[in-house]
Amino acid sequence: MVTMEKNIKDKIFEEELIPQIDALYNFAYHLTYNEDDANDLVQDTYLKAYRFIASYEVGTNAKAWLFKILKNGFINNYRKKTKQPTKVDYQEIVNFHAEEDDTNYSSYMDLRQEIFQGMMGDEITIAINSLEVPFRTVILLCDVEGFKYDEISKILDVPIGTVRSRLHRARNMLKDKLREYAESMGYSDNRN
Amino acid sequence: NTSKFKDLSKRVTLYLDGELSKEEERELLLEIQKNPQYVQLLGKEQNFREFIKSRLQRKKVSPTLVQSIKDKIRTAN
Repeated sequence: MVTMEKNIKDKIFEEELIPQIDALYNFAYHLTYNEDDANDLVQDTYLKAYRFIASYEVGTNAKAWLFKILKNGFINNYRKKTKQPTKVDYQEIVNFHAEEDDTNYSSYMDLRQEIFQGMMGDEITIAINSLEVPFRTVILLCDVEGFKYDEISKILDVPIGTVRSRLHRARNMLKDKLREYAESMGYSDNRN
Repeated sequence: NTSKFKDLSKRVTLYLDGELSKEEERELLLEIQKNPQYVQLLGKEQNFREFIKSRLQRKKVSPTLVQSIKDKIRTAN
């Protein structure tokens, strides 16, 4: 790995990575639904980011890079909780900027929201929480964080077509779940 | 009409996701302006996005976590 002066690392960390922390925490919280788990996930993400900071290209998409690390951390933690020994190789963080990203986390598709704890009360939040992790994730990345399809594709290691179809399905599932509640709040959906 | 509406729905989705070029955006908005039904579609989709976003964007990190991360990095160094 390329070595980097400590003061340069600290400057990049402070100026480019730390400003993303609220967005990362929000993402972590909506993946785990547990404040302690979200704090741990964000902390681990930043410690890993600092460790691999030499592989980050200054001025590029720091937010997407951090989100990818957090997503991998979430998968590893999930596997720990479900006693599955497979680990994500953090070496692939180094290859984040490579043109060809041939890593395949098809097992991500199999994630289920067994760690979802449904702690929040209102019906809309419950509807969002009840989406399976892959669908909730694309909603968070696109509708909350404003990532483009190609950025989401890189963060999740799935083709752009998969991003589109997951978004389409997630939004339709949400609309179905929310229609009754939304109408009572004055929002109507008259889809054919 | 049905397939035209479906095509427009897809383009509205791409527009709201920021995936259209400036030219495609301009064409879409011109088309929407000509038809009140399309204006309603765009409005409903925008409302839906805002509706979702408002429910998910409420968590901020505690200042103690930021300090804890910095302390751990300092210790590691």
